[in-house]
Amino acid sequence: MKNEVFNGSRFWNWFKYDTILLWRNHMFAALGIGLAGLISYIVTVCYNLIVHGQWQAINGDARLAILVLAFIALELYQTSTYGYLTKKQEGSAWLMAPASGLEKWTSMLINTLIVIPVLFFVVFLGTDWLITLLDHSGGKSLLFSFSGILSEVSSAVQNSEVDFGMGTIAWFFISSFCVNFLYFLLSGLVFKKHKIIWGIVALMIISSAMTFIFSRIGWNVNTEFMAGTHNARAVMVGFSACMTAVALCLAGGIYYRIKTIKH
Amino acid sequence: MIKVSNLSFSYGTKRVLSNISMELKGGNIYGLLGENGVGKTTLLTLLCGLKKPQEGSIDTDGRDPFDRQPSLLEEQFYLADEVAPVHNRAERFGRETGSLWASYDHAKFLQILAEFEVDATQRMDAMSAGQLKKTWIAFALACNARNYFMDEPTNGLDIPSKAQFRSAITRYTAEDSVVVISTHQVRDLENIIDPVIILDKEEVLLNASLEEISSKLFFDYGMQINPDALYLERTPGGTIQVYPNSTGEESKVNIEALFNAVHSHKDVVKALFQ
Repeated sequence: MKNEVFNGSRFWNWFKYDTILLWRNHMFAALGIGLAGLISYIVTVCYNLIVHGQWQAINGDARLAILVLAFIALELYQTSTYGYLTKKQEGSAWLMAPASGLEKWTSMLINTLIVIPVLFFVVFLGTDWLITLLDHSGGKSLLFSFSGILSEVSSAVQNSEVDFGMGTIAWFFISSFCVNFLYFLLSGLVFKKHKIIWGIVALMIISSAMTFIFSRIGWNVNTEFMAGTHNARAVMVGFSACMTAVALCLAGGIYYRIKTIKH
Repeated sequence: MIKVSNLSFSYGTKRVLSNISMELKGGNIYGLLGENGVGKTTLLTLLCGLKKPQEGSIDTDGRDPFDRQPSLLEEQFYLADEVAPVHNRAERFGRETGSLWASYDHAKFLQILAEFEVDATQRMDAMSAGQLKKTWIAFALACNARNYFMDEPTNGLDIPSKAQFRSAITRYTAEDSVVVISTHQVRDLENIIDPVIILDKEEVLLNASLEEISSKLFFDYGMQINPDALYLERTPGGTIQVYPNSTGEESKVNIEALFNAVHSHKDVVKALFQ
């Protein structure tokens, strides 16, 4: 009797197919976002040559800002990666393809949380490294800046009165990243049109509601409370745990949507 | 076998299907006929599991299609009225997408494409609507599914392609396949569909094999007008009349005339086939 829930070889078949489809449909947009650093470098150099008559590349701080902006764009773009599921033609073909809901969901999460971000960072930081290798006018590569930032954070954490611990900090960032990506992925699966706009509007409504609820129940994390070493760490852990719970809820919502979507 | 029991479905407050029951048996190509908006596409999407019945149930070989179990999805193919213009070459699309169906036969896909005179190296998003439809039909047949649900498959096909489609559907589906074809173009499929299902507002008016239809209704192509005719159409060189078969004599079923006769005398036809 066939396993109707999760079969390894069927999943692998589906994952390959799904990833190829994703690459084919979103290759140019993903490359566009990943190459934002290179594009801004070319634009800056051209601008400086024309206006100031000198060769000057974009500096490290500006490139870091562009990385952050490109990453936000990538988060918003998650509404499009699987957004075609709400379309009758493509969505029907996807739903009728022989793989279980769990296999399709797992593949979707791996692509959204691992494949796409890793590709983005490889392309962005790879081009940044190449640019700074060939042209020193923009300063050091972001890759080296990151390792510097990490070691600074690490020593600050070790020397700080408030011992957050690197694990807690990593947990906080990873869970926040998962919440953002999964939220926009779910928006893409729920809203049929203007997915980004509706996603942001829904996020604003949810945020306002949450703020209102927490203010009513009097959950204020004030600086005095935070000053205590133990309290600050507990708040950080609590916040990360909340983000993890939200990420799990969003992942559950995505699974529910896949299982119940109709055309 | 597909068993539909007391199936009902509404869009909001608008009832489309009401308390429908029928059995679809293997080895048949069912023609699903009906006016616009009577729920043909809805019924097809319910049968394949794209929609969930609001009342009643559908049982496909012991499974609920809406569960979308992989083993059932492997055994069925739903071909929508409007198919997706995939960003890929036909040959590569077949190879990649076909890998998901255990019984997919790539050589068969290429063979059917060749019969349909579709260039396998062409990009699907650059194809005409007819070529795209033929590529999807070829792919569907190459999946070697048991149950096929096809919504207006001949829409957009030119005259030679319609003949190629008829030939392909009879040659490349298995002997025990359940094929359900929803269509307005009854003349395109007249020679291959049997039995015929005629849907009306919320109900099934007729679900019968051509043999059964021929035994209960007589299709007269002569000149003499029969006063009992349920339907009469004058054609160049004669008439097409449909009236209750009181002699048991066999006649060739004209599906378009049948459809019109059923629609103009719903109660009479329902009583005849009960």
